[in-house]
Amino acid sequence: MTVLPLVVDWGQTWLVTGVGFGMVFVLLVVLIFILKLLGVVMNSSTGKPAKKAEAPKAAAAPAAAPKASASEDDDLAAVAMALHLYFNGVHDEEPTEITLRNIERRYSPWNDKAYGMNNLHR
Amino acid sequence: MDDIIRFFEGMGFMQITWGQGIMLILSFFLLYLAIVKKYEPLLLLPIAFGMLLTNLPAAGMYHAELWTAFLDESSPMYHSYGAILKEAGLLDIMYMGVKMGLYPCLIFMGVGAMTDFGPLIANPKSLLLGAAAQLGIFLTFICANALGFTPAEAGSIGIIGGADGPTSIFLTSKLAPHLLGPIAIAAYSYMALVPVIQPPIMKALTTKSERAIKMKQLRPVSKTEKIVFPIAITAIVALILPDAAPLVGCLMLGNLAKECCVIDRLSDTMQNSLMNIVVIFLGLSVGATATAESFLNVKTILILCMGIVAFGCGTAGGVLLAKLMNLFSKEKINPLIGSAGVSAVPMAARVSQQVGQEENPSNFLLMHAMGPNVAGVIGSAVAAGILLSMLG
Repeated sequence: MTVLPLVVDWGQTWLVTGVGFGMVFVLLVVLIFILKLLGVVMNSSTGKPAKKAEAPKAAAAPAAAPKASASEDDDLAAVAMALHLYFNGVHDEEPTEITLRNIERRYSPWNDKAYGMNNLHR
Repeated sequence: MDDIIRFFEGMGFMQITWGQGIMLILSFFLLYLAIVKKYEPLLLLPIAFGMLLTNLPAAGMYHAELWTAFLDESSPMYHSYGAILKEAGLLDIMYMGVKMGLYPCLIFMGVGAMTDFGPLIANPKSLLLGAAAQLGIFLTFICANALGFTPAEAGSIGIIGGADGPTSIFLTSKLAPHLLGPIAIAAYSYMALVPVIQPPIMKALTTKSERAIKMKQLRPVSKTEKIVFPIAITAIVALILPDAAPLVGCLMLGNLAKECCVIDRLSDTMQNSLMNIVVIFLGLSVGATATAESFLNVKTILILCMGIVAFGCGTAGGVLLAKLMNLFSKEKINPLIGSAGVSAVPMAARVSQQVGQEENPSNFLLMHAMGPNVAGVIGSAVAAGILLSMLG
């Protein structure tokens, strides 16, 4: 049995806890800003201006909008259904063994080849 | 006649101690959990078999005393892998990869190659939940100190709360290698028990209406963002916290290989062949450290108890911060995704999804929970780097 020492340096313990947990937060908050910046830069360089230019066109042709949203709804419904089936385990698990069962037949002269009908013709 | 007596005396049955007998039974139990109950079998099975091999008397596959001498400054074997190799058994040679911190980093490379950071890039606030879920690490660090463990041992025990096997092994091999066996077993056992440990805590800390909150769909993430992300994260984390560079660097290298689509062969190797080989070596060598002398003591029981505290506090930290964020933000977030901040990819995210669907079957939280989940991987690697720099 190991005897544990009971001298604790509480100063160091609180320091490591406070600074350590604080550092995790600070570092990840820095990463949040960088990711947000990355998103802004990427959107400004690629997607957003084009989308803004397209917006009046969509307004001019409102008939096209319901079609797109309907197909989106269908997609969402299909994804939702697939997830529902997956998480509820609806698909039964099949045994992957493919076997032919060996059938044991006892000997009987009734089905013996030696006494079959063909012998009578010889 | 003497030869026959010598033969019988050389048999393992004649040399087995009580401790080894108990460890063999424990290894059989872990093998049962891995094979029959399917508790993290990919790692638990090699760990349990490593435990079986190391506790076979007279087999000489692992020598704990060599590794004690390796750390003893007065010993001629101090930090000499050459000296170890002269007397090493098979498992000693495999263990060198753990000692050098090689296997956890290679596993992280594979994890990175299999992870989609898209949900995190789409919702960067998830990183806060990943940070809050590291609360378990630091609270357990305090508890372990109070129970009389040294600061280095306490840090290694606390990292179990990160719910990240490779990170736990990486940090423990550097700070408290003598505790590697119990800590690795605790980390992987509790990771397998995430669906049992987390739901009661999540339900206790949230109301019915909070659990039913539906979240806005995430924005699509461009390919360029996914390629820039691993490069930027590696540079920033390594510049701020160099001790976290091996883990975060390997994680992001794997992810870059997957996202850039120009080295598909390498990405495929990282995800499959390399990962599988390293898992075998890591599992066997970690299991080998669980010798009767190092495992059967009070410390192991305390580590197993504190491991569950670490998991619970981490889960609670993530959920509570999500609730706090709801007080200040316009767009409500479902607090259940906070629990996924404890790493354990992707099981913790699945638990969020399942608990959420119990309240509202039309609610799909999986992709939202993947954000904090992968943020937890980065968070636990950062926490390991901080503990290593402060306690190492």
